[in-house]
Order: sequence, then structure tokens, then C-alpha cells
Amino acid sequence: MIDFAASFFYMLPDLNAFTVFTGSNILQYNPSMKHKLIRNATRHFAEMELAPIAAEIDQQRIFPREILAKMKPLNYFGLQVPQRYGGANLDSISAAIVVEELSRICAAVGLCITVHNGVAVYPLLKFADSRQKETYLPLLASGHAIGAFSLTEANAGSDAGSVETTAVKNEESYILNGTKIFVTNGGVCDVALIFALTSLPDKKLQSSVFIVESKYPGFLRGEVEDLCGMRANPVSSLFFEDCAVPESNLLGKLGDGMKIGMATLDNGRLGVAAQALGIAQGAMEAAVKYAKERQQFKKPIASQQTIQNYIADMATEISAARLLLYRACELKDSGAAFGCEASMAKLYCSSVASRVTSLSVQIHGGYGYSKEYDVERYFRDARVTEIYEGTSEIQRMVIARTILSQPVL
Amino acid sequence: MLLNIVVCIKQVPMVTELPWDEKTGSLRRDLSSGMVNPACKRALEAALQIKEKHGAFISVLTMGPPAAEEVLREAFAMGADRGILISDRMLAGSDTYATSFILAQAIQKEVSGYDLVLCGAYTSDSETAQVGPQLAEELNLPAAAYAENLTFSGRTLRVRRLVDNFRETLEMELPALVTISMENYEPRHTSFAGLDKAFQNADLLFRNAADLHITSSILDQHSSRTKVRKIFLRKSQKDNIIITGAAASAVDEFLDKFEGRIGAVIGKSIEAKKRG
Repeated sequence: MIDFAASFFYMLPDLNAFTVFTGSNILQYNPSMKHKLIRNATRHFAEMELAPIAAEIDQQRIFPREILAKMKPLNYFGLQVPQRYGGANLDSISAAIVVEELSRICAAVGLCITVHNGVAVYPLLKFADSRQKETYLPLLASGHAIGAFSLTEANAGSDAGSVETTAVKNEESYILNGTKIFVTNGGVCDVALIFALTSLPDKKLQSSVFIVESKYPGFLRGEVEDLCGMRANPVSSLFFEDCAVPESNLLGKLGDGMKIGMATLDNGRLGVAAQALGIAQGAMEAAVKYAKERQQFKKPIASQQTIQNYIADMATEISAARLLLYRACELKDSGAAFGCEASMAKLYCSSVASRVTSLSVQIHGGYGYSKEYDVERYFRDARVTEIYEGTSEIQRMVIARTILSQPVL
Repeated sequence: MLLNIVVCIKQVPMVTELPWDEKTGSLRRDLSSGMVNPACKRALEAALQIKEKHGAFISVLTMGPPAAEEVLREAFAMGADRGILISDRMLAGSDTYATSFILAQAIQKEVSGYDLVLCGAYTSDSETAQVGPQLAEELNLPAAAYAENLTFSGRTLRVRRLVDNFRETLEMELPALVTISMENYEPRHTSFAGLDKAFQNADLLFRNAADLHITSSILDQHSSRTKVRKIFLRKSQKDNIIITGAAASAVDEFLDKFEGRIGAVIGKSIEAKKRG
């Protein structure tokens, strides 16, 4: 007789009707075999390396450098960078899958990776000249340098045009002065893209983007923020005090700030959507597992119709969110404009993440409100996905503006 | 020394709860996504470490449905040089005896001059641990099972393995077959650049029964000798037994019911101590 029982990690013999498998095809959608293998590889890494530390690095606000060091040779820092610069050359759905699977276990590490790839490396790929690419892409793709993107200021967030940081031309440099806040990866970044006001030849003031290395004199970091969620990511302020940046580090042309910023945010939104989706997936899986284990009234709570309805809604919304995101990714790779679809994906995935994590806490009852269970962390982590990379209100503005600008047939 | 290594791998369901169809007794593979069997992945890792240390050419061989191509792509991503997928409806349902015969045909036909064949010691979905040793018989190779470490001195392979709580070291001349246990050779993580390359220019062979000159009459001679008759979940539960009556007779009844088990626990027969 073949002894199948020997390979069981755990069994729930009385609950076969509710059996769900971590490797299940249910709620997994991989457009191709390659996408599936990318998902499996990331999931394996996240479960082996991140799951054991995710709760601790959240509570202690630890940036997990040892784990990130293991991620560098696996191309996590050069997801979509061509192989000649040391990247993995993945398509956008693959990049989304990677962020999704990291965030399913540890959203703070998912955040580090998506910000590095999505809003620091991506604008270099799209707007940098060949010297800038040769200089910075190998450093960033290998993870030897961690990237950040820095637009937000005390008086400029959703209103990106109100940036007050200045860059004044002085011989072959630009001298930066100002303060950036809430910079993801701010506490550890080696290269940051900084938005600053510049004076154009016609004396008009317009924003431009500069590639700024943290080793330049006058580049200073603030304290790491004590935030509600994503606590393992060193989000901080950056201060520029007469920081001289070589003229050759101007990204794109003088005055291109808004153009580069908007294109970058479109891409960043795909990453945040992927992150939100991963958090929702992780929270739902935790809720399903708990609902099958937790006995009340002498039966698992999963046998209660109310809980089943919660699970059905979570699963349906997550599946819809995933399709919306992958469609936006596909559109991006086709070379078409994808800003509206990226905003839809970001808006929907983040609201799904908030709803699903909230329901997951509800299913866990009192335990869900305790730090003993992961869903408490998922609940806190999900919240910011509705805020950063453009609030849900801004996403609706982008979507409505696109729809209304099209001719009525 | 460029070793010519063949690694046999199997795709197994990626599950934490193993689902099966209680009527047919077979695994519900449709419910779960596949992965490389953990011990097979360690066998591949062992091959990759040999390649890094001594230089080797690694062919990875698997038999399964067309979707088993996945495990070969993953093997390429980890560093394998060549993949062979044997897939044919005619070969479906092979037990370990038939499987090892088919694998042997494929190795003999497709890999000339092999030095070392590595297998996982057992699979997570059937746990027989038979295919490796049976394949060694088919190929007429010296074999060692449950290896945790491999070292070479020229053409001599030294195998360390853990058996019955002691370690033993065996030596054999190449060519040889070794099955790798779960003790050592923690598999490396897969890189994304590796995965990208695995889909671009991978040396992948697809073979069916006819390609391997396996006809239905040959297959009949080597057909599966075993059949899964019944499959069941091992259940354990507590049972309260209440013995009533006078103390002396209750003790007798208790000993009658349980003396075998008590004896097994304390390590000696208690029969002589019984009253009367």
C-alpha cells in the first residue's frame, strides 16, 4: 500500500468539502507557462525567506538587508532591465506577478522592489541618454544601488505642479535646495530621481528631474517615518542643502519634469496595484485557512453561509482585480497609452485590498485584531495602497478625464 | 573531467493537502499546479554543484503529460544544459517497474556515454523510492540510494548516506546511479534571467514511445505489475472503553484486552503476572 499520509504537512479529514490548496489552480491565473514559473519561483522564495521574518521586521521596523542581498543575484532589482545591463528582461505581467507574490507574504519588501523597478529604474530606461544608462542601469539592475523616486513635498503631493525644491544652474552643475517627504526607500537609497523647479531659457519656471547620488555633498536623510503599515520599508525625508548635481545628470530635457513624472506614475501604479493584489491574496488565503480550522457551534465557521459569502466576494473581487491589472500590463507592453488602465487597476486593486483585508480581520474575529496573526499586518499594509502613487481620488480624476476627453459617438 | 550527468526528475502536485478521487484511488492532479518533486530538485542541485566544481554536462529527463515541460524549463533556469520530455498517452499509468524501463530506454537512446545518473530518492506524491534502484537494474549500473553527499576521485565516486541512524560511505566506479535524499543539497533559488533564457534558447527534446522504439508488445512485457486497489486516509481517534464489574474481574478483563499493547510499551510480557 502506498503511504500517502507520509507526505502530508497537515490534514483536515473532516473538511474535505472545503479543501483549498496553496498550489491550487483556483484563484491562480497565469497567462503563460513562463508566467507560472515566475510566480512559482517568487512564491517559493517569499515563503522560504520572507515568511519567517515578515512579522518581526514589521514590528521592529527592520530593513532586511540580508534577504535583499539574496534577491540581488536573482534579478529582483532588474526585473525589466535588458540583459545587457544585467537585468532579467521580463514583460510587465511578469513584473506584476513578482511584486504580487512578494506582497502576498511581505508587502514592505514588495514595496522596496516595486519602487526600485517601477519608478526609479523605469524612467531611466525610458528617458535616460546612453551615458546615463551605461552608468546607472548596471548598478541598479544588480541591486548594488537601491533607487528612489522623489516628487512629494510638504505642499506638493497630488498637485505635482507645486514643487518648491529648486535647481539653479551654476557652471556645469545644478545646485539643489529643498525638502522631499515620504520617500519610499529614502533611508537606504543610493540613487534618487529628484523633481525640482528649474528656470527655462524663456525665464519660465518648470520642473525637471535629476539623477542624484546619495554620496553627493548636501544630500541628507531625515529620520525613518513611524508609519501605520509597510513598516519594514525605510520611508524618510530627503534634504538638499546646496547639493551640486552634474549637469549631465539631468534626466530628459530641461522642463520635462511633468512629462517624466506622469509617465513614471502611470508605471508605478501598475506596481502598487500588483502590491495591493498580493496583499489581498495573502489575506484571503489566511481567512480561508482560519475559517476551516476555527470551530464554533461545534463546526468550522466556514460552514456558515455568512462566512461563505465573504469568501465568495473576496475571491471574485481578487480575480477581477487581477484581470484588470494584467490587461493594463499587456497594454503597456504593446506600446499603447496605458495611463487610464493603470489608474483603473490601481484604484480597483487597492480598494479590493482594503475590503478583503478588512473582511479577513472580521473572519478572524478577535484574533484578527491581534499581532499574533498576519491579517492584522495585511490590514495595516493595505490602507496606504489607496493613498500613495496617486490617491483613489486622483485615479478617478485621471480615469474620468480620459473618458470625457474622448469623442462621443 | 567533463562528467556527463543525467538527472531524472518528476513533476508532482504542489499541495499542502493531497487531494484524491476516492472512487478511482488516483490523485486529483487537475486540482493543483505542478512542481519539481523536492528530492528530484535536490538531485539536480547535486548535479549543478558537481558541474560548478568539476565541469559537467547535465541532461534532465522527465516523463509525464505535455505540461511536464514546465519542470524542464525550471531545470534550465537553474542551470541544466539539455532537457528530454517523454510524453505519450500509451505510457500513462506506468508504475515504477514500467517507468524505470521507459527511462532506461530514453537514457540509452538519447544520452550517449553517460557517467552518472542522479534521481531523487523518492517522490512526494507516491513515496515508493523504487524508480532509482530499478533504473540502475535496467541500466546495469552500480547504485546507492539515499545519498547525502557525493565526492569524486578520478573515476571513483564516493557516496555518503544516512541509513538507520548511522552514516556509511560507499565507493563505486563510474558509470553509476545515485538517488539523493532530502538531507543535503538545498536547491538554489531560480533567477529571473535564468527563467527568461530557459524560454529562449533551451535545448529541449520531445520524445514519444515510437521515438524510443517502445511498441505496445514491448510495453506489455514491461507493463505495470502493481495496481492501486484501494486508497484511504489514515484516521486516528480516541475511544473510551468503560469496564464495569468487580475490581478483580475488571482487572482481568482489562489485561485480556490490553496485555499485548502494555507488553509492547514496557518491553516484556506481563502474562505471568496475571492472576490464577
